[in-house]
Amino acid sequence: MSAVQSSGSPASAERIKDLTDVPSFPAVYAAALDPRSARRRARKDPVLPRIAYRVRAVRIEAERARDFDHLMGGPATDLVHPGVLHVLTFPVSLALMARQDFPFALLGLVHLRNQVLQHRPVRVGDIVDVECRVRDLQGHRKGRTFEAVSTILGQDGEIIATDVSTYLAKAAGGEGDTEDDAAPRQERRPFEAPRPTGRWTLPADTGRRYAAVSGDVNPIHLSALSAKAFGFPRAIAHGMYTASRVFTESRVDLSRPLRWDVSFDAPVMLPGAVLVAYDDDRSGQSVHCVGWRSGSGQKSPRRCFEVDVTMLG
Amino acid sequence: MNDFPRDALILGGNRIPFARSGGPYAGISNQDLLTAALDGLVARYQLQGAKLGEIAGGAVLKLAGDLNLTRESALGTPLDPRTPAIDMSKACATSLETVIHVSNRIQLGQIDSGIACGVDSASDSPIEVTPRLRRILHRAFAAKTAMQRIKALSSIRPADLAPVPPRNGEPRTGLSMGEHQALTAAQWGITRQAQDELALASHQHLAAAYDEGFFDDLVTGYRGLARDQNLRSDSTLEKLGSLKPVYGVKSPQVTEPTMTAGNSTPLSDGASSVLMGSEEWAVERGLTPLARVVDARSAAVDFVHGDEGLLMAPAYAVPELLDANALTLQDLDFYEIHEAFASTVLSTLAAWESEEFCRTKLGRGGALGAIDRSKLNVVGSSLAAGHPFAATGGRLVATLSKLLHQRATETGLVQRGLISVCAAAGQGTVVLLESVAD
Repeated sequence: MSAVQSSGSPASAERIKDLTDVPSFPAVYAAALDPRSARRRARKDPVLPRIAYRVRAVRIEAERARDFDHLMGGPATDLVHPGVLHVLTFPVSLALMARQDFPFALLGLVHLRNQVLQHRPVRVGDIVDVECRVRDLQGHRKGRTFEAVSTILGQDGEIIATDVSTYLAKAAGGEGDTEDDAAPRQERRPFEAPRPTGRWTLPADTGRRYAAVSGDVNPIHLSALSAKAFGFPRAIAHGMYTASRVFTESRVDLSRPLRWDVSFDAPVMLPGAVLVAYDDDRSGQSVHCVGWRSGSGQKSPRRCFEVDVTMLG
Repeated sequence: MNDFPRDALILGGNRIPFARSGGPYAGISNQDLLTAALDGLVARYQLQGAKLGEIAGGAVLKLAGDLNLTRESALGTPLDPRTPAIDMSKACATSLETVIHVSNRIQLGQIDSGIACGVDSASDSPIEVTPRLRRILHRAFAAKTAMQRIKALSSIRPADLAPVPPRNGEPRTGLSMGEHQALTAAQWGITRQAQDELALASHQHLAAAYDEGFFDDLVTGYRGLARDQNLRSDSTLEKLGSLKPVYGVKSPQVTEPTMTAGNSTPLSDGASSVLMGSEEWAVERGLTPLARVVDARSAAVDFVHGDEGLLMAPAYAVPELLDANALTLQDLDFYEIHEAFASTVLSTLAAWESEEFCRTKLGRGGALGAIDRSKLNVVGSSLAAGHPFAATGGRLVATLSKLLHQRATETGLVQRGLISVCAAAGQGTVVLLESVAD
């Protein structure tokens, strides 16, 4: 990644940093592994940087959208899956969060929720601008949460879609977290598994295959060995892989404005199986899906993700 | 009391531009292509959430895993997921047969609405293992002991591992379709000049129709392609005349080979769809009927022992269709004769003009006669557009229906059109359509 300019805006304290291109994930993750980033943990009163990262005129590549659609089990459509927009903007957000003045360690962040609001369809080959910001720092029983907001704009300046990812930065002892630390048993939302409508069998290479189409090579997703290095017993599926797969199977009319809400609970271990249950709204305006891993013996079923897709007009 | 049979109406169509094999649709599957064609149809006719009577579709080059190709494609569109679907197959006549199937169901009152469609991708055609390897592997899977398994697998020879692409030819004669047609062209004395002229007309007509916006409500762009990739609007007789013959060059019966890449269709990728319904359904949805399906016939010839040319079955099916509807060949206003090869169209026309053929082969009193060539493939056909096998019938039906409706609205007169499609294995399917005016 390289910056071509930094300019202050007279109307606000926010600065905009223009990148010449969408940064590459490996470069961002390498920056995140920089030992200097460890110092961030010590900060008592974290402040989010007031800066927007912007990349202008990014083409949505047809081949990439096709590979994404195929991985999700759907047809290669000319109207772009919003998951493609997410992976397009994600490295820009990450680059912002890898900054030295960003208060949290990038690799310890937990993706809690994701919300996409898409106002109009995007076609493969379209050129868009991408802007990423971080905002809304909040206290949380396990640390702090904040939002990474990506805005996708058309060449007419209109907002096409907004993608809001909510992350948890754990307060202390973030390293060596196991899945069960992520949500202590007594505080978990109660979960009663519905009747499953499907069962996903996810092979060990699921994370590598998603990394190939999304570019997200976060080591916790790639192999058991690389995941162990970051405190996970096994590789875990990318949250946005599970969410995007649900989206594809939601039979969405991509020509309409829509909202795509995702919340993540227990991680999906690889290899592994996830049960899913779809629940369509009778009017055909919304689809709800929950995914969980089945319980066995003393272990009760654990909800892994919940997805809502709503058509907006 | 049921009032059947009733009219089956063509209400519109949508296809994606056809691409040459290995072109912009490389890496794209049959399901992708068919979903794109159906998605465009749904958008154009506002069928989001609509539960249709049936969707009939198919592909010629089909992967074993695509057994429910049409249903799987439909499930990827905003149509009501409770719309049933059926996969059908009859080589190049596939989507003409799906139109007939949906038409018959509507006429009989079994359904009120439906989509006929077809798709093919030569870029993503199935590649199989050799039959010997397949049987060895099945023996190994079925083995009860490790020794049996090792014994089965140890019989694999290096030659068994070669992949097997789809066969390009007739299994019973060993000749490719082009080689067969070269024999027919030589038999009928079809000249190189006549073939190149037909090919040129196809390109010129298709280009003009695109320029006039004729395809604006028949074609939806896909993967950056807005027009058929094979279309050469700047083609000339000189350019076509400079191409080397590719078929018939090894046949002793062909003294002067005439068939080139320019007057034969290329391997193509694409998908087409046709929306059909009863009159009541059309009114309910506020759709304008373009044409009605009057009748259809199919025929087959014995090409295996040389009794007839491989692609000549439509020459037999059309007279039968005309007789059944008390029409002469000259009563038609539009002729859509699929240009598998330019010489296929010309051989068929020559047969109908031949006293001898019509007397001895068709058992008629005399020739059917010549047609007014200005009514033939007036907006171009397969030589220019390309020919994704199972998508061609749907392209022809949607195109002809629009032509009939347009002309009927202009003239106030009922217009009739013929579609004739030849198919592998010596088969042919023909359909008669009639205009429905505004």
